[in-house]
Amino acid sequence: MQKIILIEIGNWSEKENLNVNVIEIKNLTKYYGKARGITDVSFNVEEGEIFGFIGPNGAGKSTTIRTLLSLIYPTSGSAKIFGKDCIKYGPEVKKEIGYLPSEIFYYDKMKVIDLLKYSASFYKKESIKRIHELAEIMNLDLNKKIDDLSLGNKKKVGIVQGLLHEPKLIILDEPTSGLDPLMQQKFFDLLLAENKKGVTILFSSHILSEVQRLCNRVAIIKEGRIVKVEKISTLKETNHKKFKIEIGAELEKNYFNIAGVSDLVVKDKMISFLYRGNINSIIKKVSEIELINLWVEEPNLEEIFMHYYEKEA
Amino acid sequence: MNVFIREMKSNRKSLIIWCIGIFLLIASSMGKYAGLSASGQSMNELLAQMPKSFQAIMGIGTFDLSTPIGYYGVLFAYLVVMATIHATMLGANIISKEEREKTAEFLFAKPVSRNRIITSKLLASFVNILIFNFVTLISSNFLVQNYSSQAIIGDITILMGGMFILQLMFLFIGTAIAAISKNPKTAPSLSTGTLLITFMLSVAIDMNSRIEKLKYLTPFKYYDAKILLFDRNFDAVYLIQSAVIISVLFRITYVFYKKRDLYI
Repeated sequence: MQKIILIEIGNWSEKENLNVNVIEIKNLTKYYGKARGITDVSFNVEEGEIFGFIGPNGAGKSTTIRTLLSLIYPTSGSAKIFGKDCIKYGPEVKKEIGYLPSEIFYYDKMKVIDLLKYSASFYKKESIKRIHELAEIMNLDLNKKIDDLSLGNKKKVGIVQGLLHEPKLIILDEPTSGLDPLMQQKFFDLLLAENKKGVTILFSSHILSEVQRLCNRVAIIKEGRIVKVEKISTLKETNHKKFKIEIGAELEKNYFNIAGVSDLVVKDKMISFLYRGNINSIIKKVSEIELINLWVEEPNLEEIFMHYYEKEA
Repeated sequence: MNVFIREMKSNRKSLIIWCIGIFLLIASSMGKYAGLSASGQSMNELLAQMPKSFQAIMGIGTFDLSTPIGYYGVLFAYLVVMATIHATMLGANIISKEEREKTAEFLFAKPVSRNRIITSKLLASFVNILIFNFVTLISSNFLVQNYSSQAIIGDITILMGGMFILQLMFLFIGTAIAAISKNPKTAPSLSTGTLLITFMLSVAIDMNSRIEKLKYLTPFKYYDAKILLFDRNFDAVYLIQSAVIISVLFRITYVFYKKRDLYI
């Protein structure tokens, strides 16, 4: 008896270690005529992770996602979802996908509840209870006409619509635009709860902070190419801080020219630079001079990209 | 089934308006007939003196306007124009609207194939034009019978049969153009443009007998009221031609829509 149990546990842990890829993208390329969509995109999303997909507008995030959903077809390359080709088995794999598009447009004349029921009618699942549950969490009035909803409320409809059939894979394309911070928090909690149940999430965004908050790993895309696929924890270690300092008296130009500082600009009494390294040593350095003002910021996405560009070059 | 019901609902209002319109057209035209018939043969004589091109444009041709069914034969041309405009717009819109109204990302992310969506939409369009045709048939019979001592349901049924084939053809012209067209906004105007050109061609053929050979190019010539009422039968050549055109357009609708990128 004891033995059998041990074997079972052994099998179980083996399964845990075996990373199943929910999404496998291989050399995916999409051209719109001659215009670039994406070039040679490859990455995998493992089962149970929240995977960030980050890049500026027009980098190819939506193109990649739309190809996964076979809304558009790749010029070359392929993608698998749940181990099946996403185009050949499109309708089948979509049963377990919940998708929230970046821009939400629905049949205007419909009421929210009618749209959600229409959406639910495509899945062979009973989801009326789930609709009410989600609407309550997201504070969404089901009896309003979609036409009369604000952008944020339309987004909520999209969220409920994407989650009501309890999919195993959730694909979100810039889901937070239009949501106020409180709703964003509720939405993230909802996603984390789903994730805990084993749901895999592909989260596309151009806002680094929300990806950092939520995701385990991230793929960075720029001008149609994947620049990097990295764990968020690693990304944080290499993270830069942006310093801007206003000083009373002029300073020796190279005062801040120490290890870890880059992009140093000294302009009269304003000094700005990017810093990467032990935060204590730079603060010590700053504390030794007379300050009028100090700003320390997370660098924005562009600056992170600059960082990756320099590395690539 | 859900897409079918959705389409029936979203087209309901427009279908009702079209049906009221067609009823009013027939009612008001037959009202004019009441005045016209009082003048007896003199109307025919007057119109016979008009230039042939005028007759062609008005669609009068060789009809005997003093009989209710002859008068209705002229009216039929207008009914056909309305029915085909309805069918073309319906076909072009039902396919292209998901992309135009940006609901494509919602609908096509659902676990249904494009073919199934097209099938549901075509089925809904089919029911719509069938209702349109049936309402025209009932209103025509009811309103024309008022003025006629003989039973005219046979004549009207055969005309409506021709009109239905025309409706089908133009429905599929609409869907095929919408399926091929990469920009959904252009589909309805391209389709109605096609309709207009084929209609103008049919009028031109009436005006000028030298280009009669072109009649195979315009479906409007396939089911001409003059011939239908005289022969009481469909011309086999035109029937085959219609069947070929419909099946080709049907195929195009599926094949092209399945293969192309959605416009998002």
